[in-house]
Amino acid sequence: MKCLVIGVESTAHTFSVSVVSSDGEILSNSKSVYKAPPGGGIHPFEASQNHLAAAPSVLTEALRSSGTEPGDLSAVAYAMGPGLGPCLRVGAVAARTLAASLGVPLVPVNHAVGHIELGCLLTGAEDPVVLLVSGGHTMIIAYSGLRWRILGESLDLTLGQLLDQFGRHHGMASPCGRAIEESASRSDHYLRLPYSVKGNDVSFSGLLTASKSLLDRGASFEDVSYSLQETSFSMVTEVTERALAFTGKKEVMIVGGVAANKRLSQMMSAMAERHSARVLAVPLEYSGDCGAQIAWTGVLAYESGIEVPVAESTVKQSWRLDVVDIPWRG
Amino acid sequence: MTSPGVDETVPGRLLYRGAEADVVLGDWQGLPAVFKVRKPLTYRLAAIDREIRRQRTAHEAEMIRHAKRAGVATPFLYHLDLQTSTIVMEYVGGKMLRDLAGQMTANDAEEPFFKFGEGVARLHAAGMMHGDLTTANLVSREGTLVFLDFGLAHRTSRLEDHAVDLRLIKETLVGAHPGIAKAALDALFRGYEAVAGTPKSRRVRSQLRNIERRGRYARVT
Repeated sequence: MKCLVIGVESTAHTFSVSVVSSDGEILSNSKSVYKAPPGGGIHPFEASQNHLAAAPSVLTEALRSSGTEPGDLSAVAYAMGPGLGPCLRVGAVAARTLAASLGVPLVPVNHAVGHIELGCLLTGAEDPVVLLVSGGHTMIIAYSGLRWRILGESLDLTLGQLLDQFGRHHGMASPCGRAIEESASRSDHYLRLPYSVKGNDVSFSGLLTASKSLLDRGASFEDVSYSLQETSFSMVTEVTERALAFTGKKEVMIVGGVAANKRLSQMMSAMAERHSARVLAVPLEYSGDCGAQIAWTGVLAYESGIEVPVAESTVKQSWRLDVVDIPWRG
Repeated sequence: MTSPGVDETVPGRLLYRGAEADVVLGDWQGLPAVFKVRKPLTYRLAAIDREIRRQRTAHEAEMIRHAKRAGVATPFLYHLDLQTSTIVMEYVGGKMLRDLAGQMTANDAEEPFFKFGEGVARLHAAGMMHGDLTTANLVSREGTLVFLDFGLAHRTSRLEDHAVDLRLIKETLVGAHPGIAKAALDALFRGYEAVAGTPKSRRVRSQLRNIERRGRYARVT
């Protein structure tokens, strides 16, 4: 029988609530996004205050626009982690309250698994190599033996942090990805930057330092943006290609906030062609953080019997996706 | 320099399309040989791509020589052409450890992974790291484990670099061969210790844990 699950995302800058049905229809996806001050990043407490203020209206809007009644919901899913503590707690409180008042199960969801599962739903990917690139993650992932397994990752900064910290050095406010992409598109002058691939892993810290120092020494923001994108995207494309060649899989799926970057997906396509693999890009609205990733993964988990008693429904700031069992793919 | 047989039309069968090179089986002066050709990768800017391919090809030839001197089985080098980023080397044959591991039980893992650990320790003792120790880069031939693909290898005695080698092995085992990962790693570390000795083995494993702790959201087990 068809069921409906409501999902609450609250791991970082986005507070979002969504209702999804068990046949994969996204009935609503409302959100409020915390805006950092220029030159700054996400202040966890400030972001949580945004979420606290926005929670009632986002929740109401998600229910209203889905055309469902609270009594129709079978379960409440929430992002248990990983993420920023103060932000996670707001989502957890909202979800607990809702589940308790409706008398339905509370379903914990790993935020990163949420990105992947929603991506698979929307792109039709069956057995992809996943590139998860955002402010919180930079990982190459594939499913094997009951879990999503990490085949490669960043050893320090995430790709989103690299772009944001570079943009902030120039006086922008996070997230800076779109502005950097736009600046980069106005240059084709490559300035040499350090390229650091270690096996299947990448390291961005030296690249960030070198890029900031180019700016400080007077190079144009356009040229450095261009060179930074070309270098960092080449690095993640190279390690994704390693994972693709190694596993022999035929699909590459890009998810997470940085998936919105056109130059990155262009590089991925050129790479995948050599291996006769398809590149699957998640639609812009759903590639970044959103309630739908939690609600849909909540459906899968709920149908597999996963739930958590309210008394144990804590949040986990550190929760790697490769420790989460995925029974629905078993 | 003329390079007979080394061009875009290397006669032969594509053995393996790796992440950065095509590996083609051909003929080198009457011997069956492998042509490892780093073709331009179109997704990268030519300025980035050219330098990386040239560097890795030259490095790889040098590192194969170095590994062989350290007592690690590698293919014999026949020819090097930096113009086309091509290495011509002995055709090893045998079976890829990745494919063997796919069929293994935890018991079967003991012997090959013990040898794997010994080989890695020899490379490290000789002051180098391999840099790409996935199970696709080891081939078992008549009981000998042959190390392939030295494209990311470096001369280094830094503990951190040696631990990075072990980290990739662990990542590959846990990521791609979860069923035998524990047994295989145990055997590998014992093999490593047998060659490197206990103090070095302890230090490198402790550094491996440090690297893992730096990972996002990591709870090291």
